[in-house]
Amino acid sequence: MFLQFLFISSALLTIACSIAVLITKNLMHSCVFLLGALVGIAGLYATLGADFVAVTQIMVYMGGVVILMLFAVMLTGGKDFVSRAQNLLGLPASMGNKWTYGVGLLVGVVFLLTNIKLISGITMNVAGQPSTQTGSTVNQIGHLLVKDHVLAFEISSVLLLGALVGAAIIARPRKHN
Amino acid sequence: MNQTVVSYLSQYEFYDFLLALFKNNQSLLSFVIYLVLALAIVGMCATIGGLGTYAERKISADIQARIGPNRVGPYGLLQFLADGVKMMLKEDVMPFSADKMLFYLAPLLCLTGVFATLAVLPFSGGFIMTDLNVGIFYLVAISSLVGVGVFLGGYASNSKWSMLGGMRGASQIISYEIPVTISILAITLLSGGMGFGTIVGSQGGLPHQWFMFHNPFAFIATFVYFVGALAETNRAPFDLPEAESELVSGYHTEYTGMRFGFFALAEYIEVFVVCGVAAALFLGGYNLPGIKLDILPIQAVQFVIFMTKTLVLYYVVIWVRWTFPRLRVDQLMSICWKYLTPIAIFNLVGCAIWMVVFNGKSIAEILLGSH
Repeated sequence: MFLQFLFISSALLTIACSIAVLITKNLMHSCVFLLGALVGIAGLYATLGADFVAVTQIMVYMGGVVILMLFAVMLTGGKDFVSRAQNLLGLPASMGNKWTYGVGLLVGVVFLLTNIKLISGITMNVAGQPSTQTGSTVNQIGHLLVKDHVLAFEISSVLLLGALVGAAIIARPRKHN
Repeated sequence: MNQTVVSYLSQYEFYDFLLALFKNNQSLLSFVIYLVLALAIVGMCATIGGLGTYAERKISADIQARIGPNRVGPYGLLQFLADGVKMMLKEDVMPFSADKMLFYLAPLLCLTGVFATLAVLPFSGGFIMTDLNVGIFYLVAISSLVGVGVFLGGYASNSKWSMLGGMRGASQIISYEIPVTISILAITLLSGGMGFGTIVGSQGGLPHQWFMFHNPFAFIATFVYFVGALAETNRAPFDLPEAESELVSGYHTEYTGMRFGFFALAEYIEVFVVCGVAAALFLGGYNLPGIKLDILPIQAVQFVIFMTKTLVLYYVVIWVRWTFPRLRVDQLMSICWKYLTPIAIFNLVGCAIWMVVFNGKSIAEILLGSH
């Protein structure tokens, strides 16, 4: 019962906030709704029993990415982006014209059909069973990271280090000579 | 599965009695137990936060050779209730050009982030709402919601002071999260788990069994964590987001009434939470020296031990606030990035090497030769 409640509330939060991200006209509000959508996705992970992934989702997106986006929007003038222009459907004009909507719809339908084809085999036999896995996923993730996927792990850490050094170089004060 | 307060209570006889009372509806009973305990813990921590304002004034008065609040109730003890009533009765003013939605949302985000951390705070062996396997990681992650709240509060007020305070607050919280998290990681290394039950369980009741005195690196990590936690909760000497001599009162300048009260309450409860985490991670948590029994009165004693350690740290936080002058912004950032973060990384590597070289033994075990 609790898992169902968690799933329904997380799913509703994700869907509602995702729609709100699209239809709101204020960029700052979009960022805040995006926060809600990402928290909803963390709830979905928690429903599936992936506790570590859920918490990492909160940590990375709520503690880092969304604050960074808020900073970026604010420093580049979040209020000036409030768009008054509208297209025929009453949506903000910045969202595109009928061609973009048409292409988007087509891609969406193709994507949906592909996904239904892919996951139908999995969902047919499960019958709404929640995750049977008990215990923590932390051990398994840790073992996989330093055994099977150690190369990818190390390469991505070098990549992140490069990004860090690059950011420091871009942000450092330049000497006038 | 994770150990929770419900699974702890279910080993006693009265749980069966309660179960019969609820007509064997297991999930409803769990829900009711969670609800009651959640309300109790939130109420208790809100009271502690309120009493924190009283303690702050009384201790500051003591340090400055004044008397402090002494009119409302015995020793002025009910001052915080009077303040609460005053804040609720005040007019709820909102700046004309404020961002309405974000203005309403910001204090709630702060308060939600702080209250959500209470779910994993280990008050005693049994009375921890849920002993998540990723407990400390969850706590660090969910408390970053406070940073979002502070930033949005500063932005939505549409005032220069608030904006500067909010930006300072967010950058400070993000920056100081790094040394704090790395110090916590060092302790995770020593205990071999991220759940609070595992971390506290692998320490002992006596000081030489605490992680603080496990090895020299953990000893330094304790202080790195404490300094970082002071900065994360925007406490002096790191209270730049609300520096009253420069920014009026920073990110909550434009807030009145209970919305301001929410920010203040969130701050005081967060101080309690970080002190509780420090007590659990470094000072042995709720462990009782020598007794291995697990009966309900022991739980009460454990609760008292945990609260004592936490409140002693709470006193230290207030003491620090009224002793040290405030830092400058550039000093704040250089302390974090040039000193605390390298020291924290050094501690992490040091702890890892210690665990390998000495086979996980603490310094006391090596000196005394016990096992």
